[in-house]
Amino acid sequence: MKQNRSLLPVTLAGIAGPALLLCIICLGLIPRAFAADTAAWSIQVEPVQAEEGQLPPDFSMAVYEDLLAQLAKTGQFQQVYRSGDHQADSVPNLLILHMTLLNFERGNQTERAVTTVKGATKVQVHLKVSARDGNTLVEKDVQGTVRLFGENLKATYALAKHIAETLRDASLPGPTAAKAAGQ
Amino acid sequence: MPTVLENTRSPISSPLAAALLLFISLFCASLYAETPDTTTAASGVRGMHVLGLEGVKRNHHGTLTVQPSGLNFDGKGARGVIAVASIQDVFTSQDTRQTGGKVLTVAKMGVPYGGGRVLSLFSHEKVDSLTLEYRDANGALHGAIFSMPLGQAAVLKKQLVDLGAHASIPVEMPTDKKDDKQ
Repeated sequence: MKQNRSLLPVTLAGIAGPALLLCIICLGLIPRAFAADTAAWSIQVEPVQAEEGQLPPDFSMAVYEDLLAQLAKTGQFQQVYRSGDHQADSVPNLLILHMTLLNFERGNQTERAVTTVKGATKVQVHLKVSARDGNTLVEKDVQGTVRLFGENLKATYALAKHIAETLRDASLPGPTAAKAAGQ
Repeated sequence: MPTVLENTRSPISSPLAAALLLFISLFCASLYAETPDTTTAASGVRGMHVLGLEGVKRNHHGTLTVQPSGLNFDGKGARGVIAVASIQDVFTSQDTRQTGGKVLTVAKMGVPYGGGRVLSLFSHEKVDSLTLEYRDANGALHGAIFSMPLGQAAVLKKQLVDLGAHASIPVEMPTDKKDDKQ
């Protein structure tokens, strides 16, 4: 009986050790498998849709260019295509990213520097990512703001960063799963 | 000959006055270093590439020239061209920004009793920005933004439109203030 008691911790360690190791391996493999699945998608970015005069052209182009740069930086997608790129026509697993302007407030850098509470520049868009067949995979409102330091165009950088983060955190299904869900 | 020993104390002998003098000189130096060259040379306009031009880093300073081939940007170790035929639209706008760059921003943070905020009131300038929408050989949409001294963007836009670039908004040349007063 004494012998059994002394063996108990050893037995527990023998079971818990491999179980813990298995958990660690599984946790390490799941994100990799998920990443491999989402990397099968390519994405095409469309410029921000806004009513005339609602968004200045420099802000519109800055959002578009910043977003392309941020998406390429994440490495989440196989290819990042620009709007109208003919090379994207033949890509089978293509996601299309649409943005619609919800709100734009042009601030003032001097006002921000003087008051620290006023003069913020804000850009808010409705983000929609859909597959070629029209199946929507991600839909969310995202905002970019510059509050203290930096020029007004920094808000577009913040917005692009938030969109890239939203897509990274969204659980995008693999192309085959998305097709099956769409049918 | 009797020597006058009165008033030999320097006006900057107090530490506060010395610190103030140092700060003012730093402020002036940073303004001189960061203020863009507003002279418009016959060869082009001094400006800054904000974003979008292939092969040129962001916030890179250089010279913008309009040539029959298109809009050329020549910077230190970086060069880019946007062909006139590829330009879909040209826009101009104005914005204000703080001068002095990071140096002055840090210096302003160090000034006690909110003095930095007061400095912010005087350390800003108006700038023009020129935005181009263009397509590459594959039809892909690109956008490029340049900032430059006030009044220069309209000149460049007019030159581009004269060469055949498409602009959805007609060119509005900046009006002369002297003419307005008369």
